[in-house]
Amino acid sequence: MTHLGEMISAYLDGELSRPEIEQLLIHLDGCGRCAADMQDAQIVRSAVRSLPLLELPAGLVPEAETELVSLHRNRGFLVGAAAAVVALVIAIAAIVTPSAATVSLEELNSRYGARASLDPAFGPAKVVVPDLAQLLE
Amino acid sequence: MRRLAAFVTALVLLPASTAFATELDELLEESREASYSAEQVITCSTPDGVHDAVIELSQSSGELHVGAPVAPGVELAAGSGGWTLVREGAVVSSANVEGTGDVPEPRYSVDDGADTEYLGRDAVRYEMAGDGVVRAELVFDAEIGALLRVVTFNGDGSVYCERRFITFDPEAPPPGDEETTEVVRSAEGGVDSDLPDTLAGFERLDVYEDDAGFVFAYYSDGFFSFAVFQIPSLLSIDTGSPVTLADRVYTRSFSPGQVTFAWETRSGGMAMVGDLPPDMHEEVLAGLPAPQDPGLFRRLWRSLFG
Repeated sequence: MTHLGEMISAYLDGELSRPEIEQLLIHLDGCGRCAADMQDAQIVRSAVRSLPLLELPAGLVPEAETELVSLHRNRGFLVGAAAAVVALVIAIAAIVTPSAATVSLEELNSRYGARASLDPAFGPAKVVVPDLAQLLE
Repeated sequence: MRRLAAFVTALVLLPASTAFATELDELLEESREASYSAEQVITCSTPDGVHDAVIELSQSSGELHVGAPVAPGVELAAGSGGWTLVREGAVVSSANVEGTGDVPEPRYSVDDGADTEYLGRDAVRYEMAGDGVVRAELVFDAEIGALLRVVTFNGDGSVYCERRFITFDPEAPPPGDEETTEVVRSAEGGVDSDLPDTLAGFERLDVYEDDAGFVFAYYSDGFFSFAVFQIPSLLSIDTGSPVTLADRVYTRSFSPGQVTFAWETRSGGMAMVGDLPPDMHEEVLAGLPAPQDPGLFRRLWRSLFG
């Protein structure tokens, strides 16, 4: 037996002609499966229709009759997108930014060595020796 | 008679260490005034292994010129508050400071000394001690007072560093003017700082701030010394390895005769550079701001805006 699932959907959507409706009803009288499908489809549609209607925030959905959406109506979206871009840039900068400014030992040594040269103990016991290996690189 | 009695009483009550400390100062001062040239071997046993170097020294009028056989193009001039490192005729780094703090009273004393010989010359060997712990052995030339050999010790008596001359020429001419290099003033005195006045037996003598934003304080106990740096940006020295002292993690780098610690705090980078033996490190660092991760946003802010 040929089942009429597509005609059931079309019937519930009000898309069938009168001869097609009569044909469907005759078929449902003799086909238990299609009758059951019809009943299930009606239950689902009733449940969907019973859901409360929510009012969408203004500006979130462009008005249907407006094909060209003006920019000012999407300000919220643009602000959000800009914030996301900024956050992304900061995240990338944080990742690629060096963790610290590198200071050479010589920069520290020069200051320490200069002050140590005023120390009473300054001399062969205290002279700051440069890192020769690094200087020769 | 009363004046004589008071004078004798004062002599008796005068701490022996004060009398010895003056002698240590005199020995070091005489050594600074000596003119000579020499080759010096530096060998230091550190927790990170042995660090050594051979350098050429010439001293005249309290200024030292240092070269190294392995680095013929590198020369260092130091003295009177100046420090200049030259490589192939170009200044690598330099600084010039003026000491503003008083010379600290040494916490060490030296014994009466013992005659000895060093490099075929008459010399006098002294032991330098503080709080009952021998911290150094000093050998001075008997004729001109130059410090020929110095050994510094850890608190347990083990050797930290030995610096000894392997050649010595007291007749060498002083370095000529052509070896003098221009020094760049980079620090001024009189900067306020929240760093402690005393730290593990060391006295803070000076605080400096230079154009680069480096604030540093100089500490001395009359023989050993170190500088503490506070840097507004984050700091990472280009050598070193992590080390944990008293549950605090630092980056530590040894070089012949010197140690450098670097770490980060909430307010920036810090470093300690000095010649103090390893057993003193922990106590000194414990008196300074502890390492703290500045956090992602502080790190990013400093990286972006300094």
